[in-house]
Amino acid sequence: MPLISRPIVDPAEYEEFGCHPFTDSPATPDKVARNVFIRRQVADFNVTMADGKIILFWGFKDPDVSGGDREWPSKLIRVKQGQVVHCEMKPAKNTHTIHWHGIEPSPYNDGVGHTSFEVKSAYTYQWMPHQAGTYLYHCHKNTVLHFEMGMYGVLIVDPVGTGTGANPKLAYDPRPGDSADGIQPGAPYAAESILVFDDIDPRWHTMDHNLGMCGDDVGLDRFEPKYFVISGVPNNKTQTDAKTAIKAKVGTNVLVRLANASYSRVGVKLPVDAWVVEIDGRPLRYNPDLGSYSKPYKISANTEIELATAQRYALWIPNIAAGSHSITGTFRHWVTNKMHPGGQAIAKIIAQ
Amino acid sequence: MTVLSRRQLLRYGASAVAFASATTTLSSFVFASDDEVTSGDPEPGVGGGDVEVDLTIQDVDYELIDGSTVFMYAFCINGAPPRIPGPVLRVREGRDLTVRLTNLSAHAHGFQVPGMSGSAIDTIAPGASATIEFTVGKPGTYFYLDPMFSPVNRVLGLHGALVVEPDDDSASSGAKMPYNPADATAAIQALFASFGASSRFPGNRWNESREKIWIFNQIDARWCQRAANGEIDAVAASEFANDFRPRYFTLNGLCGIDACHDKDTCPTGRIGEPLLLRCLNAGLACHSPHIHGNHVFMLSESKGASGVISYNSNVIERDVWRMESGTIQDCLLPFTAPPDVPPGAWPPKQEKFPLRYPMHCHNEISQTAAGGSYPMGLVTDWHIDGL
Ligand SMILES: [Cu+2]
Ligand SMILES: [Cu+2]
Repeated sequence: MPLISRPIVDPAEYEEFGCHPFTDSPATPDKVARNVFIRRQVADFNVTMADGKIILFWGFKDPDVSGGDREWPSKLIRVKQGQVVHCEMKPAKNTHTIHWHGIEPSPYNDGVGHTSFEVKSAYTYQWMPHQAGTYLYHCHKNTVLHFEMGMYGVLIVDPVGTGTGANPKLAYDPRPGDSADGIQPGAPYAAESILVFDDIDPRWHTMDHNLGMCGDDVGLDRFEPKYFVISGVPNNKTQTDAKTAIKAKVGTNVLVRLANASYSRVGVKLPVDAWVVEIDGRPLRYNPDLGSYSKPYKISANTEIELATAQRYALWIPNIAAGSHSITGTFRHWVTNKMHPGGQAIAKIIAQ
Repeated sequence: MTVLSRRQLLRYGASAVAFASATTTLSSFVFASDDEVTSGDPEPGVGGGDVEVDLTIQDVDYELIDGSTVFMYAFCINGAPPRIPGPVLRVREGRDLTVRLTNLSAHAHGFQVPGMSGSAIDTIAPGASATIEFTVGKPGTYFYLDPMFSPVNRVLGLHGALVVEPDDDSASSGAKMPYNPADATAAIQALFASFGASSRFPGNRWNESREKIWIFNQIDARWCQRAANGEIDAVAASEFANDFRPRYFTLNGLCGIDACHDKDTCPTGRIGEPLLLRCLNAGLACHSPHIHGNHVFMLSESKGASGVISYNSNVIERDVWRMESGTIQDCLLPFTAPPDVPPGAWPPKQEKFPLRYPMHCHNEISQTAAGGSYPMGLVTDWHIDGL
């Protein structure tokens, strides 16, 4: 029988690509003056699941805030479009990185070991978000494990401008010549729901930091989630916790930011009509002169939209009606597309 | 008499003149790939006339990233070494494609291009041959595959890309596109018209040499063994969807560092050289490809068995796109400067070109091989070589 061989690769390169990625603590190249300075350090977090079991997570704490080591997932980072951001990251022990997911800086500031380096003792990341929208930040070392261990947080880039009256905030700055049929350009809103869906396989949460990097079979092909959370809240509390059950004033606009931090296909259903106004940090608008070719589109009530892992969607609900509106997330297996046992989590918008 | 396109001349050089006939036969020639004119890496294709290809199906041992081997099925074109995925076939819209298929596998196989009527050969017994001739449909990206016990034989290696090139590839603006103006939506036309002609996309127009094909797949050695044992039948196929447990995740048949080093996989170029990515998921798992450095523009899509291409009227930019089993999506990597570098840090002085960025599936389970070995899974790089 013919053999199809894999290409020949320098063993030293193979080793560095996988088992022993390049580590460093360089000065930030091409450093410029900053507008925002953030610090993050790696820490452990114990989080109580729906059945009362306490599971170990890893994440980024904010050393400048007391209690910064108690918040999982990692604290929301919120900056404005056009600000130069410096974030000093200290891994504490072992190596980690921060990848600014959806932000596109230079490779040194992109946080990927095999295309730059993993941070040994400290590094100051530099980037300047050019576009308001919904992003994530997460560790990109041994990502299969470190992302599951919870080393992520939400990153929101706000526009420079503001809305008016009852809807004082904007999802993004409208530009001259933009058309965004069906919505008010900029998607002005009053209340905001930030929902990050995650699934947890407790077996993975007992693993060592470098496990699965050097050729051993440690079972990282088997992912059997037992717990389902939204923004760190276990699914028995998501309908009551203030993080996931938000309040809105009847008649105002609500912006729902969705992110999939799980290893499942996540379907999301709302009981009201909503408009997709931004995907992956890019507003949906049409303006060929300025390089935009998309349009907002309506998701009718009770129609599911599906988020692939690491996608973000911003849904805009204009003029919300009174009531308690459930946002239902369903977690499905990435191969079989079957719902995981217990794989559901419900958030709420309570409009009064 | 078919006139050779400029592309053919560029790609195949003077020897391509031999093909300046109405029917081009690939059976006695092996072409070089897009990027490597002199290498022995065969990637046959023809832009001009009707096309005839001799394909064989073989049983092969396939070496994985960790050095283990599994049984798979592979296509090969006329005596060239078998490969997974099969060689890229290129045909111009409206031309006839004749496929002469010889089954050298110990098992029966079939052939089909989903989305093209008259393209199916139901069964070819071991040792037998069959020929099918059909007229290719609308421009875009298609699978050719073995539809037997779908999707089992496809996942087990019998898949490749068929690229249909447009007859009329210029928008009213004069910009080249991979589609016909009659099919391309206003948004697609506007995007291609913007390259090299707008503040966001300084540089060049897109041209047909700027293309990569990314075929995703997954491997479960248990199912490879079942195939080797001759156990693939309708009953096995009915179990596949619930029993398939992939442990290797490939991009153009390669894992991890191998895909990063592969010239036909890793896009390179300068700023202002937009590149078309034709993405196909031959596997069963739903992938979440995520690209760093630039977002991509989603151009067209075909889903599963129907193979019918829809050209997007809503051209959305994404850094993660969802690739369900059997789907095909064309997207455009604009090769702009990474947009979130502070202006004062651009162009970089201390950081050096090439700027390297990864594309990887964000369902990180796919970044492993045999239960570990991160990141020896579905990943490649792309390089910005300079301004
Ligand atoms: Cu980490
Ligand atoms: Cu990411």
